[in-house]
Amino acid sequence: MRISKIVEDTLIIAWIKSYPNFRRNPLLLLVLAMVSAIPLFFMLMFSSGGNVIVHGLIGAMVSTVSFAGVLSGIQDIADDRYVKIREMIVAMPVHPASYALGIALAPLVLSIPTLIFFGAIMAYLGFLTLETFVLLVPALIIVWAAMSTMGFMISTYLWKSSMIMLNNLSNVLGIAFIFIPPVYFSEAQLGSLSWISVIIPTSNVAGLIRSYMGLLPLSIDAIVVRWAVLVMTTIAFIVLTSMKSKWREN
Amino acid sequence: MEADAVKSVDLRKVYHGKEMVEALKGVSIDVNKGELFTLLGPNGAGKTTFLRIISTQLLPSGGDAMVLGHSVVREAEEVREHIAVVPQDVATYNNFTPWEYAYYFARLRGMASSEAKHKAEQALRAVDLCGLRNRTCQTLSGGEKRRAIIASVLSSDADVLMLDEPTSGLDAVARRGVWSALRELVRSGKTILLTTHMMEEAEMVSDRLAIVNKGTVVACGRPDEIKGLVKERFRVVISGDFKQLSSFAEVAKLGDRSIVYLKTQDEAIDLLKATLKMNLRAETSPVTLEDVFVKLVGGLNNHENQ
Repeated sequence: MRISKIVEDTLIIAWIKSYPNFRRNPLLLLVLAMVSAIPLFFMLMFSSGGNVIVHGLIGAMVSTVSFAGVLSGIQDIADDRYVKIREMIVAMPVHPASYALGIALAPLVLSIPTLIFFGAIMAYLGFLTLETFVLLVPALIIVWAAMSTMGFMISTYLWKSSMIMLNNLSNVLGIAFIFIPPVYFSEAQLGSLSWISVIIPTSNVAGLIRSYMGLLPLSIDAIVVRWAVLVMTTIAFIVLTSMKSKWREN
Repeated sequence: MEADAVKSVDLRKVYHGKEMVEALKGVSIDVNKGELFTLLGPNGAGKTTFLRIISTQLLPSGGDAMVLGHSVVREAEEVREHIAVVPQDVATYNNFTPWEYAYYFARLRGMASSEAKHKAEQALRAVDLCGLRNRTCQTLSGGEKRRAIIASVLSSDADVLMLDEPTSGLDAVARRGVWSALRELVRSGKTILLTTHMMEEAEMVSDRLAIVNKGTVVACGRPDEIKGLVKERFRVVISGDFKQLSSFAEVAKLGDRSIVYLKTQDEAIDLLKATLKMNLRAETSPVTLEDVFVKLVGGLNNHENQ
């Protein structure tokens, strides 16, 4: 199959899965923004000044793309029990990669207004410059990729599970990967346990972004190690998913 | 009609779960180009399994099938160029419009935007949804939603359309709307492979049909040919307690009603007269596909067994 067809199909599937919701249910955007903004609100209420708001905004941005990533695969499994778009697409001249990438991209597309909103505040506060923006975008993309592949891996291994189980799982994952580790707060607060943040994709990326913005001192070596861990984690999830997933059942 | 659009040879499928289930036990079927062929069978007969194999969603355990000359096992990509599928019990995206269903599925076929728009228009016309093209699916009736999904396969311009129980859960009026759309498609040269467990649907829309039961084909042919597989041509439905039932060979008891199957119209009229003399209500008609189906799949309650 031609690469151009694979790319085009990816974009069409992402569009199918995002644009109609975006256009006809715009409140969805507010819900997505609030999920990430609520912890920020409490941080502002109960913390005392400093860079808390910037730490929180970094957390909100990482949270937005991570939720988008982890939910895409799990939500797709749940949705598809009813709308069966995947069954229809399997029987079409569409590459499986187009489908997987398309449904992973869709929630990211829906997250863009939220990211712009948080980014605008950071820019207003002077933490998001052109230089940090160039470093921020790949960091957000890699955490989205890591969390998307993790979502796909989970949905592949649990594809027979009930809707309730899948919904509960996505909530638990959100808490486990976004609200507990140092995503909204600096890993420096963990003291000697700060290394934990490196092995969790969300806190790893939050740490990277903090270092790009001068909020966390990291050596070049540490940055390289963090990127390597993120890439390896993503690859590991892809391998585990591809070992189990089947475009065509047997 | 010419050559085979779909040809399955000894198609087998075994599901290995907690217990082994043999869903298809060597199904061989030929579907001609340009005909509407129906797989008719009770729930669990293997219809959906057959359709999922033919549509390249599921691999068979044995045998093979060809769609327009391409093997579903070895040449799935080529098969997918020529088919479009509507799965069983499919729901619509509530925020989608019929036009979006038709347009985006055409785009996924590789059509340019202008061509996809043209095909989407044609598809919506074929299913009589032009007036509702921009309404979201959540505001449509069950029949309109189903036709919106059918529009998505029509716009693909695929040669072979496969629909798994497309009218299940629809009321009589909505069902007829779908049937009408399907027959229009056949008239325009499409081949349609349909599954259903509704006898009226099979009889009304099919050019030919196969009765499938427990993973095997019990009978195959035109509806009138299938009906010709039993000796009895007429039936008399009697309401009430008719004492002479035991003198008839083929009787089905449905509570306080009995259906007596007879070979000739004269026999049916004689029985009708006899029942009327006894002040019982009775009516006669030719045997239906349902009568034949029940007999072929072994569901007839013969009075001797009661």
